[in-house]
Amino acid sequence: MTRRMPKLNFEHWVVTFVIISFCGATFWISTTFDRMPPILKRGIQPADFPQLILILMLVLTVAMIWLDPIIVDKRLDSKTVGSLVLFGVFGGLTFIDLFLALGAVAALLAMFWGERRWHAVVGIGLMMPALIFLLFDQVFEIRFPRGVLTNLWYG
Amino acid sequence: MDAFINGFISLGDPQLLLVLLVSTLGGVVIGALPGLNATNGAALLLPFTLSMEAIPAIASLVAIYCSATFAGAITAILINTPGTPASATTCLDGYPLAQRGEAGRALGLAVVSSTIGGVLSVICLMIAAPLLARMAYQFTPPEYFALTLFGMSMLASIGEGSPLKNLISGTFGVFLALVGVDMLTSVERFTFGSHDLYDGIGFVPVMIGIFGISELIVQASSLDKRKERVSMKAVQLPTRDDYRQVWKTILRSSGIGVFIGILPAEGATVASMIGYNEAKRWSKTPEQFGKGAIEGIAGSEAANNAATGGAMVPTLALGIPGSATAAVILAGLMVHGIRPGPSMFTEQANFAYTIFWSMMLVNLLFLVVGLTGAKIFARITLIPTQVLWPCVFMVSIVGAYALDQSMFDVWIVLISGIIGFFMRRYGFSVVPLAIGLILGEMLEQRLGQSMVMLDEKWWLMFTRPLALLFFCLTIAALFGPVLWTKYLVRVFK
Repeated sequence: MTRRMPKLNFEHWVVTFVIISFCGATFWISTTFDRMPPILKRGIQPADFPQLILILMLVLTVAMIWLDPIIVDKRLDSKTVGSLVLFGVFGGLTFIDLFLALGAVAALLAMFWGERRWHAVVGIGLMMPALIFLLFDQVFEIRFPRGVLTNLWYG
Repeated sequence: MDAFINGFISLGDPQLLLVLLVSTLGGVVIGALPGLNATNGAALLLPFTLSMEAIPAIASLVAIYCSATFAGAITAILINTPGTPASATTCLDGYPLAQRGEAGRALGLAVVSSTIGGVLSVICLMIAAPLLARMAYQFTPPEYFALTLFGMSMLASIGEGSPLKNLISGTFGVFLALVGVDMLTSVERFTFGSHDLYDGIGFVPVMIGIFGISELIVQASSLDKRKERVSMKAVQLPTRDDYRQVWKTILRSSGIGVFIGILPAEGATVASMIGYNEAKRWSKTPEQFGKGAIEGIAGSEAANNAATGGAMVPTLALGIPGSATAAVILAGLMVHGIRPGPSMFTEQANFAYTIFWSMMLVNLLFLVVGLTGAKIFARITLIPTQVLWPCVFMVSIVGAYALDQSMFDVWIVLISGIIGFFMRRYGFSVVPLAIGLILGEMLEQRLGQSMVMLDEKWWLMFTRPLALLFFCLTIAALFGPVLWTKYLVRVFK
């Protein structure tokens, strides 16, 4: 009896392609590592173990294509996609100020997820970042990166 | 024996007692909040422990581990949503019992079963960990390599995700552990010239990302779920009749929990599934299971809490995490410069026993907290997701930054969070990634040492009986999940 391959979706092939490409690219990079003379190599060359792991990952991924295909039962919903976009916004805003980014994105996230009570949004966007900042600055003595808002505190 | 007594005496330190009390309360809150569990809770709070001494830091992490594992039962019983994956089976009988107006009785049973399971597991931990460590003293690099490989192979059978995908996730974790300057040869690997990558990818930011941020994104798709809490007057201690009905189940499940916990990479979730299943199998009234059987609650809760002590056995004695949360605790140990293993019980015996006694105290503390405060903690379950998770996001980011005061760690959190989300979406569990990341460096080191010791004749590893035994166990662990799945299908049919 032959095993029939299940009908696979687009995402299955994308994920498989990404993993195989990752293994291929990193394997190629590992071939550029310096090789040590026998007296210094301590058992294995620096590239040996990463290459062994990458080959194993590749073999497992190829086996996955037939034995354990990726099945996604639902598409990404708008809330998830929006949350991922907000992470991008956060990344951008950190260049202006870390706490500005935190407060803005946390408040936007709460509103995007359906929070309509203004006091809750203000609490998340203003009070929480301020409390966290004070806790880490005063108790844990953490110095945060300078930015538009943190400069007001640091002077 | 001195360390055993000294560990107990250390509990008299008021600072340690305060840390344990606060962490226990924090752990109960974390466990009671749907979406947050012992693993992501410990990962999120790990940066906060960095400014502490090693003993209170690790004691607080184990307190969170024990108390959050118990507190998952609160939401399981009151809102039919397991606070932690380990309490999923508690829902099956806890919620129906609560719907019948016996929520207090269900919670009382959960608290008592969890405490007994937890206390028994700590006793086993105190006995088994030093014995295992003494045995491991005989290990040479090939045995250690084979043992670590066995630990890695157990990733295949972790509850969430399929065996093949778990292994891919684990190997990816090992790969990430290899990024940075090779300690033995000083060769840069996958650093791309970035100074931030010279020391490798820190496992704390990765854990915050894969456990905390990825869960946040997962929560985005479950915002529409309505939470309806069953009303409860007060938590009731089990009656004599209840004890008579469940004592065998509690003892059996505690044994199961400890055993499953000791197996590398297996944790409370698998333990509670087996504990529940065995409770049903041995019950005189199996038809009552799923309709509010108290043996179901006891079987599940005793097993999942017993697994916490069990999971700490390989973690402390061998440096191989017994569960996902134990992996976070292992990361905490490493961050504090403590390398678990056989030497811990000779060179840092006081530390080890203080942690054991702390776990014992936490198990007794949450008996008090559970019985007196469950009603208050039940209210926490109704904190809206849209308020809770933006706050978790802020704590995750600032906590990650605080590790090294580096924005690079913030990027690691975000990237690993997004990767973790997509991994979970496509059926790859993130737990093997965390364990692979922790064990990766150790695995390479021990392979290198073995090659030096065996004069580069790797096949000689198979001529060493103990190493051969671990290699055989590795093969069994790789193929065992297939047989396990068949067993589960047969049982749950």
